[in-house]
Amino acid sequence: MYYLQLFINGIVAGGVYALFAVGLTMVYSVFRFINFAHGELIAWGAYGVLLFASPPFSLPLWLSVFPAILLVIAIALLQNHMVFAPLRNSQPVTLLIASIGLSFLLRSGLQLYFGSDLHSYQTSFYESIDLGGLMISYVQLAMLCLSILFFVILHLLLSKTLTGKSMRAVSDSMELAGIYGIPTRKVSVFVWIISAVFAASGGFLLALDTSLDPMMGLTFMIKSFAAVLLGGVGNVWGALLGGLCIGIIENMGTAFISPGYKDLTAFVLIIVILLFRPQGILGSTIRGVR
Amino acid sequence: MEYLLHIGIVCLIYILFASSLNLELGCAGLYNFGHVGFFAIGSYTTALLTLSGYSVWFGLLAAMLVAGLSGLIFSWPVLRLTGDYFGIASLAFAEMVRLFLLNERWLTRGPMGLPGIPRVEILGYSGNTVTLLTALVITVVSLFCFKKILTSPFGRTLKLIREDEHVARAFGKDVVSFKTRTMAIGSAFGGLAGGLWAHYLGYISPNDFSLQLTVLVLLCVVLGGRGTLLGPIVGAVLVVSVGEGLRFLPLPASMTAGVAHIQSMLFGLVLILLMLRRPQGIIAESHLIQET
Repeated sequence: MYYLQLFINGIVAGGVYALFAVGLTMVYSVFRFINFAHGELIAWGAYGVLLFASPPFSLPLWLSVFPAILLVIAIALLQNHMVFAPLRNSQPVTLLIASIGLSFLLRSGLQLYFGSDLHSYQTSFYESIDLGGLMISYVQLAMLCLSILFFVILHLLLSKTLTGKSMRAVSDSMELAGIYGIPTRKVSVFVWIISAVFAASGGFLLALDTSLDPMMGLTFMIKSFAAVLLGGVGNVWGALLGGLCIGIIENMGTAFISPGYKDLTAFVLIIVILLFRPQGILGSTIRGVR
Repeated sequence: MEYLLHIGIVCLIYILFASSLNLELGCAGLYNFGHVGFFAIGSYTTALLTLSGYSVWFGLLAAMLVAGLSGLIFSWPVLRLTGDYFGIASLAFAEMVRLFLLNERWLTRGPMGLPGIPRVEILGYSGNTVTLLTALVITVVSLFCFKKILTSPFGRTLKLIREDEHVARAFGKDVVSFKTRTMAIGSAFGGLAGGLWAHYLGYISPNDFSLQLTVLVLLCVVLGGRGTLLGPIVGAVLVVSVGEGLRFLPLPASMTAGVAHIQSMLFGLVLILLMLRRPQGIIAESHLIQET
């Protein structure tokens, strides 16, 4: 029963990791670089809610989610416009360094405004349901439902709408897609919005379950990177699978090793995956892996 | 005066640290974002040895050896990756080192850190002046080593590998072996810088070796100019003096707690602007063929 509980915790956390990983993998598949600042979108999502829920705005927690998501979308579009778009033709490493700088800038901004201490939301939403020995809190239930909802929406977007189809074309080859008259600018805006919305909502949900920490962005960025690698770089459904795997492995792992090493799981996985299966579990194509 | 000594020592340690990263990042094109991991290994090695009674010199030597060896072991599997993948794997390595130091309390006392690390002592004298002189000698000797490496056939091969691995292979160079040796040398000097750091501050804890330091040292190298000997020196001096100079800004009292964060924001911004405007850094590497 103990293991089942850990397994369920793992699935819940993994669903949210998958939300982060989707953004990371979509940005990679279209722009061909690892957005190190992705973690800061997560953290700003969580802190944005705190910002709008506390004075001078004092919105109810649920209402403040929406301005927070808008804020994160604005950050994502701004970073694309100011930094990543001008650097489009540079080497991936130049973009990676720029995104490290960006992440440092955004995180320090967060620390400057909110301080380095842990925060948590003022809410009484922490009751749990007892399912014959299994405890699932409402927060966890919300995390699970929202992850599923987001992935259904993403699936519909990618397969049914023109923008989604264009995005898949652009990720194959931005140049060719441009030649075919696909509006690549519109697609990049679309990718950044999806990435921002998923990161911000996931960040809020995880912060609701645990707490807000200025360093949370880095931790989750590393985890979602592990998820991306596990699922195969550039593969949206691989990111879902990878996120779930990371969540489950990490939570089951706490039964066997000291909880202090919980965050280590993702790092070890990154190195092991890169060594033995750089194309990921699902990836049969070598595309995107050099 | 004490304060200037402090800045001098910190500058020298950063110069050594940044130059060792420059060997990997600038010369061989290995984007090692986990260099701070080797710095931490060096610090803890010498701290643990000197705290159990060995001399500082033995500690520093051991710091170099252990860090170099870890670089060798780490690079054996990871060097199969290239570009940004290598970068993330090395970043993961540095975080693994930090988590190890944080969790193995029997060895490192975990988050409480190691206090009371002995200072450098020459002929019974100790203090900041002695530390400064020691750091100066060690840094100058190390820089001399780097210069030798850069101008040797070994260094030229590294630059060839950075520019085009396939060409290097076609010339019969064992690329992986060259990279492994570079990682070992770079890590050893990184470990030495870490050792000096530990003996200067007298107290280390795992959280000193976070991503913050990685970004700082990366900034030193990228700002100064990758692949040049002088670049990291200029970069380190600039980064340290700007960082320290910000303390003297006339800020309202409520803001003083935030100086560290403002400093980080500034460094992040500079890193972005550099990538946008001048990715080669202040001192650009000359691409003329030099006869040495």
